[in-house]
Amino acid sequence: MSNDFSQFQEAFFEEAGDHLAIVEEGLLALEQHPEDLDLLNKIFRSAHSIKGTSGMFGFNAVAQFTHKMETLLDLLRNGQKVVTLEIADLLLKSTDCLKTLIDAAKTGSPVDGDTVQRLTGELASASDLKVEAELKVKAEAKVEGGPSESSLTSALTSTFLIAWTPPEWLFQRGLDPLQIFKELANLGTLSQVAVDTSKLPELVAMDPEKCYLAWTMKLETAKDRQVVDAVFEFVREDSVLVIEQVKVEAKAKAKVEGGPSESSFTSALTSACEPGEPKPLGEILVETGIVSRETLNHALAQQKRVGQILIEQHAATPQQVEQALQKQKQQESASQSKKTDTASIRVDTAKIDKLINLVGELVITQSMLSDLGSRFEMSQISVLLERMAQLERNTREIQERVMGIRMLPIGTAFSRFPRLVRDLSARAGKKIQLVLSGEETELDKTVIESIGDPLTHLVRNSADHGLEPPEERLDNNKPELGTIRLNAFHEGGNICITVEDDGRGLNRDKILAKAVKQGLIAENEKLSDDQIWLLIFKPGFSTAEKVTDVSGRGVGMDVVKRNIEGLGGTVSIKTALGKGTVFTLKLPLTLAIIEGMTVRVGKDTYIVPLLSILESIQPKAEVMKTVIGKGELINVRSTYLPMMRLYDVFCLQPEYTDPTKAILLILETEGERVAVMVDEILGQQQVVIKSMEQNFRKVAGVAGATILGDGTVGFILDVRGLLEIARQGAPVAA
Amino acid sequence: MIKTALVVDDSPTMRQMVAFTLTNAGFNVLEAEDGKDAVTKVAGGPKINIVVTDLNMPKMDGISLIKELRKMAAFKFTPILMLTTESAADKKQAGKDAGATGWIVKPFNPEVMLKIIAKVLPA
Repeated sequence: MSNDFSQFQEAFFEEAGDHLAIVEEGLLALEQHPEDLDLLNKIFRSAHSIKGTSGMFGFNAVAQFTHKMETLLDLLRNGQKVVTLEIADLLLKSTDCLKTLIDAAKTGSPVDGDTVQRLTGELASASDLKVEAELKVKAEAKVEGGPSESSLTSALTSTFLIAWTPPEWLFQRGLDPLQIFKELANLGTLSQVAVDTSKLPELVAMDPEKCYLAWTMKLETAKDRQVVDAVFEFVREDSVLVIEQVKVEAKAKAKVEGGPSESSFTSALTSACEPGEPKPLGEILVETGIVSRETLNHALAQQKRVGQILIEQHAATPQQVEQALQKQKQQESASQSKKTDTASIRVDTAKIDKLINLVGELVITQSMLSDLGSRFEMSQISVLLERMAQLERNTREIQERVMGIRMLPIGTAFSRFPRLVRDLSARAGKKIQLVLSGEETELDKTVIESIGDPLTHLVRNSADHGLEPPEERLDNNKPELGTIRLNAFHEGGNICITVEDDGRGLNRDKILAKAVKQGLIAENEKLSDDQIWLLIFKPGFSTAEKVTDVSGRGVGMDVVKRNIEGLGGTVSIKTALGKGTVFTLKLPLTLAIIEGMTVRVGKDTYIVPLLSILESIQPKAEVMKTVIGKGELINVRSTYLPMMRLYDVFCLQPEYTDPTKAILLILETEGERVAVMVDEILGQQQVVIKSMEQNFRKVAGVAGATILGDGTVGFILDVRGLLEIARQGAPVAA
Repeated sequence: MIKTALVVDDSPTMRQMVAFTLTNAGFNVLEAEDGKDAVTKVAGGPKINIVVTDLNMPKMDGISLIKELRKMAAFKFTPILMLTTESAADKKQAGKDAGATGWIVKPFNPEVMLKIIAKVLPA
């Protein structure tokens, strides 16, 4: 039977994710406040929601497991059990397990069956066993009742005598006796309906909202007793009801089955038992008794795969078949990953309403403009300018609102940390509290999804290396409890996220010694503090004496930096020995729009990402040097930087070929600098990035394109790509 | 005449599924995310012909909502169905005591749900 609900699966997974987060957060908070009934109710409701909804999609493993969790939670909230550390731990582990079960339902990823089994057992033994057993019996009883209902349905006609005295308050529960008679009549032939009015009081004493009547009737039907009983489902327990089966007659089976009176309900039941597809030949042969099950299995085992047959017939080589099989596998996994790729976003309806409003305004402005255009006179130029200003206002506001749709509070990225810090502190034997602030700060969904891992690494780093063990903290007159703070806030057009700990701070000498040992710097190199701190972002750098399973393996900090820079952001460090360390991530609000500086080379316009520009200079002739094999260098305050002529890189016709007349932009990415020569700086503006890969192909040195104010296409420079080109020293044609 | 159904559930997915089924069956659907929301939305709203409500909800749960609705003249005889799970036998009784007409046991499919609604809703 087709299930119309399948289209809501995506929504379910999203909702289930939210509920899981609520359960996890709630459980963590519960450890601090075990008596908090509101909290328990909230956790219970979320678990209950997952259970109810997952069942609707047939995710039985999820539903069953959640049911076990729910049982325990119910006991906790009723006060029959007390929240202990063990129970909280068990529930947290179960939440993790539930997560994998839900993922499995979503993507078909594998599930650790043993863990599920073990946790199910633990949950059951933590809960009241009697309750469990009762439920199981009930479920089994239901299964037994199932098939008999449908198998008995067809062949027989029965006659039932029914006497029904409904409760007086029948109407007050919204029940209508007429509905019941209609339903009975649908089952077969209803006759001899008699009403008993003996309980009807005098008119003055009668309450018109009460039911004083009782009925007797006769029903001839092909349905069995359970179907008749089901008609009275909502009133049976409160009524005086006698259903007597008086006569059973066999009738021609075919006639009953084809009968128009068969309700959709029963047909639904029978069709659920019927196989939806034709049976394989072997099955039919076994069923009709021509071959035995063993013979069939034996024959099936001898059956060969297509690939094997083709190889034997020399139609294909084993290698070719193997390749084809691999291709098939790839296609399978590709189609699977495509399935999981569909991303959806939930948007506050208020945001959409506002947007529709704005579009309305835009339409009005547009019609005013076209009206003006159709009968324009030069005297109306001021009106035209006014309308244009209005159009600009509308456009900007719509742009902001549309961006706003992709904006989510960063709290969603923060929510995983309470659990992480709890586990880390337990494992490292440190006492750590996590303080979150600025969770409501909004930023682009893609950015939120991409900063999760770098942030996790920074938090782990703080817990592992930043914070000292409790004894050491006490020795240094610090509170035993270490603090990690995560904060998010807006600064200009950027968002800043800080990860702060009150631990030992970065050790200048240790880092220097390590860097020398690793050959990252020369022994007597003079470095500023800030330069030293940045060394920890170098690949392969780690000062941790002990390698733990979470961090200290030397991979990570460089990845953090690369990830953040990949998002167009920066990482900086502030630290004080013995007092703590602050990592500050500065990220753009969105990836779709960047703040750019437009520059001109000859007749062409390029855009340079503003974040990567350090300064612009007009050099004197004496700072220019040419080194054989390394190209041109320029001395900026006694540091030599490679210099690139943008016209060389992209084969353009420049206005100036003399650097002293042109302008040099000093660009930086990942700590490396390059000077890029252009003719003129035009100004600063926001540009919308259009992907080169999607519209054309990847071009070295170009990060993307945009449409400029005059309608022409401008290229956005890829600073990292330019550095690569500078290193190779070879100009490339665009 | 087009009938209006009030669907109350704190789970948006569940609510959408019920609303979707009812809309396809020709109902006009009013959605509410908890009991309190439902009470606010029915005040001055259209005439409701049937109510389908979840039981476990924040702010105001299903049982309290049923009691609240039964106090209103407009809902005195309106069929009210509650969404329950197999295990919640005690909830069924509490619902009946509050004035629920009947129940739909989760999980259910659209056919079963419409069948139960047809059972209690006068044509």
